[in-house]
Amino acid sequence: MAHRLLVRRIWTVSVRDVRCPRAPSSALYSTSLCSSASPQPLLSPRRSLTRALPVTSRRQVSFNVQDQEDFTERVINSELPVVIDFHAQWCGPCKILGPRLEKAIGKQKGRVTMAKVDIDEHTDLAIEYGVSAVPTVIAMRGGDVIDQFVGIKDEDQLDSFVKKLIGQ
Amino acid sequence: MPPIENDTGRAELKTRIQQLIDSNPVLVFSKSYCPFCVKVKDLFKELNVICNAVELDLMADGSNLQDMLMEMTGQKTVPNVFINKTHIGGCDKTLQAHRDGLLQQLLGGENETYDYDLIVIGGGSGGLACSKEAALLGKKVMVLDYVVPTPLGTTWGLGGTCVNVGCIPKKLMHQTAVLGTAMQDARKFGWEFSEAVKHNWETMKTAVNNYIGSLNWGYRVALRDKNVNYVNAYAEFIEPHKIKATNRRGKEVFHTAARFVLATGERPRYLGIPGDKEYCITSDDLFSLPHCPGKTLVIGASYVALECGGFLAGLGLDVTVMVRSILLRGFDQDMANRAGEHMEEHGVKFLRKFVPVKVEELEKGTPGRLKVTAKSTDSDEIFEGEFNTVLIAVGRDACTGKIGLDKAGVHVNAKNGKIPVNDEEQTNVPHIYAIGDILEGKWELTPVAIQAGKLLARRLYKGGTLKCDYVNVPTTVFTPLEYGCCGLSEEKALELYGQDNIEIYHSLFWPLEFTVPNRDNNKCYSKIICNKLDSERVVGFHYLGPNAGEVTQGYGAAMKCGITKEQLDNTVGIHPTCAEIFTTMEVTKSSGGDISQAGC
Repeated sequence: MAHRLLVRRIWTVSVRDVRCPRAPSSALYSTSLCSSASPQPLLSPRRSLTRALPVTSRRQVSFNVQDQEDFTERVINSELPVVIDFHAQWCGPCKILGPRLEKAIGKQKGRVTMAKVDIDEHTDLAIEYGVSAVPTVIAMRGGDVIDQFVGIKDEDQLDSFVKKLIGQ
Repeated sequence: MPPIENDTGRAELKTRIQQLIDSNPVLVFSKSYCPFCVKVKDLFKELNVICNAVELDLMADGSNLQDMLMEMTGQKTVPNVFINKTHIGGCDKTLQAHRDGLLQQLLGGENETYDYDLIVIGGGSGGLACSKEAALLGKKVMVLDYVVPTPLGTTWGLGGTCVNVGCIPKKLMHQTAVLGTAMQDARKFGWEFSEAVKHNWETMKTAVNNYIGSLNWGYRVALRDKNVNYVNAYAEFIEPHKIKATNRRGKEVFHTAARFVLATGERPRYLGIPGDKEYCITSDDLFSLPHCPGKTLVIGASYVALECGGFLAGLGLDVTVMVRSILLRGFDQDMANRAGEHMEEHGVKFLRKFVPVKVEELEKGTPGRLKVTAKSTDSDEIFEGEFNTVLIAVGRDACTGKIGLDKAGVHVNAKNGKIPVNDEEQTNVPHIYAIGDILEGKWELTPVAIQAGKLLARRLYKGGTLKCDYVNVPTTVFTPLEYGCCGLSEEKALELYGQDNIEIYHSLFWPLEFTVPNRDNNKCYSKIICNKLDSERVVGFHYLGPNAGEVTQGYGAAMKCGITKEQLDNTVGIHPTCAEIFTTMEVTKSSGGDISQAGC
C-alpha cells in the first residue's frame, strides 16, 4: 500500500513537471514533448531531468502583453488564434486558472497561443475589452472576439473552450 | 389701449418683442416700481453688464406686451429676463442662474461650449460618488485622479485615501489585532493550541493589498459602466473653466468644463525637522510597508496615530506614542483619555509632552534603525530613543495649494489650505464646488463626502433641493478599545448649553465576552449628554467598547430622529449585548454616583 502511494505521488509530480508548458511548435522539442502523451517515459527520472533544463530559444505557449502596440501586433494581428487571459496579481482564482489554461493551450501543439494581460498594468486594454471581473478569458481569431468566459473553469471545460477556438 | 383682438396686431407685437430679445444681449422686461426688477438690474450692474430694461408700466401698451410675454414664455410676472436670446425667467431664477454659473456662461458671449458638463478633480470617495451620480443624470463627466508618490515612493490606485491608505487597510489591520486578542481569550474558553502564536506581516500586508487591488479595479469598472471619463493625471486650473492635466509621463492635455468639483482630499503632514521625509513613514506608507515595522515610534495623537499605534501593538510590536499635548483633539477628552489609558494598560508606551527635534539613521535595513531626538515641551529634558520605524501622524494638509486655484479665483483659507463653501458646497466662484476633506469646518469622513457628492450632483442636474446634513454624524475611532460617538462632546455641549442645562448619564460596563477571559473589567464606558431644555434630547452619544462602529450606527439613526432620554429608557435592550447599556442608564455624572460594575 505504502509503495503504491509512493508511486502514485511520483507519478503526479512527474506529470506536473513535464506537462507541456510551452508551445511545442519548436522543432527541437515538439516531438519529445508531444510524445509525452504516453506516460511511460515520464517515470524515468533521467528524462525528467533533461526536460527541466531551461531552453530559452524555444517558443512559449504564452506571453505577457507589454503594451497596446504589442497587443495589436501579437494578439489582434496574430495568424494563430489567441486566448487572452486578463488577470490581476491580487486575484486568487487567476492564479489557479492561469496554469490550467496554459496546460490546455499546450495540448494544442502550437495551433493556438495565449496572451496574458495584467489588468492593472494595462488597464486601458482591459477596459476596452469590457473586463469587469477577473479572470476574464477571451478567445480571439483574426482580431475578432469569438468567445469568452469569466471565472474558474475545470480542465475539460478549458479543453473544449480551446478546441472550439481552433475549430475542432 | 384695449387688448389686441386681431391676429395682425398680435403678430406685430410678437415680432416687436422678438426683435428686442434678439438685439439686446441682456434684456429685462421690468416695471419701474418693482423691487425684484431693481434687484435683477442691480445684479447686472454689479456684474458690469449693460442691461436694457423695458419698463412695462411706463409704456402705453405695456399690459399687451406683458400678455404676449406670457404667451411666449409662460411667465406673466416681471422681471422677465433674457440673456443672449435665452429666456432665464424671473428674479429667483436669475439669481439662481448666477449662483450656478449659468448666467456667467451665457454672458460669456457666443454661448461658449465646453468639453464637459462637469470635471471632478480627485477620484476619492466624494469625487467618485459625485461624478457617477452626475453621469447617471446624463451629464458628460470627467474625473481626474493622480497620486503623488510619498517621499519614500509609495503610491496607489484609484479610490482615494479611505480605500487605499485609510479606513479599509486600517480596519483590516485593526481586525488583525482584534484576532490576536481573541486568540488569547480562546484558551480561556477551552481552545487548545500548543504552539506559540506568531504573526506574519507580509502575509497580512499582501492579503490587505490584494483586497485593495480588487477595490481599485471595481471603481475603475464602475466609472466605465457609468460613462464617466477617467483620466489618471494631475489636474490644475489655468483658467476658471479650463484645466491642464499632466500624466505620469509628463504629457499635458487641456480640458474645459461648465462646472468643476474639487475633491482632492488631504495628505499626511510632515514635521519639518531634519530626517522626517528621509527616514520616517506616514500612514500613506505603513499599509503597504514590505517589511514588519518592528519597534515603532508613533509621533502624534491624532486618531490616525492612535489607531496605527494600537494595531501595531496588537500585532505584538513594541510601540511608543509621542504626544505633544492631548489625545484626539476635537473629540470628547474624557473618552479620548479612557481610550488612551486602555492602550497604555495593554503595553503601548506614551511619551507625553515631547516634540521631536530630529531623526537620524543609524543603520539601513528592512527595517533599519533610527535614532530619534525629542525635547520636552515644559522643561529642558531631552529624549533620545532608538526605533526601527518612525510613523508621523500629526495631522493632514488639504491638497489645494498646487491645483491653480488662484487662476480660477477660488478662495482658500491661507492658514490651513481648506476651502470655505456655502451650505451647497459652492465656493466663492459660482461654477466651482468642493466636497470632502478639503472643506473648512466640515467632517473628514468618507461617508460624508459620498453623501455631499451625490446630493450636489442631484441639485446641479436633477433639480434636487436636499443639502448635505453635517449635523449628528456618527463616527468611530478604531483604537484597540473602540470609541464610537455621535453629536457633541462633553466640552462642546457645556459650551453651547451651559452646565445647568445639560444632564450627563454614564456607566461603566463589562462585555459578557470579556468575563470568561476575565479581562478589561470596568474599562468599557458609555455616556450620553442630554439637553434639559429640550425634553432631555440626546445631543451627545459616546461609547467605548467592542464593536463601537456597529453600536454607534444605530444610535446615530436614533439621534437623527431626535431621540430623548425617555425614549431610550422605553427602548427594550437586546440581551446580552454591549449596546443595551444605553437603555438602562440611570446614574448621572452630576450625582457622582458609583458606576463601576460589581462582580457577582
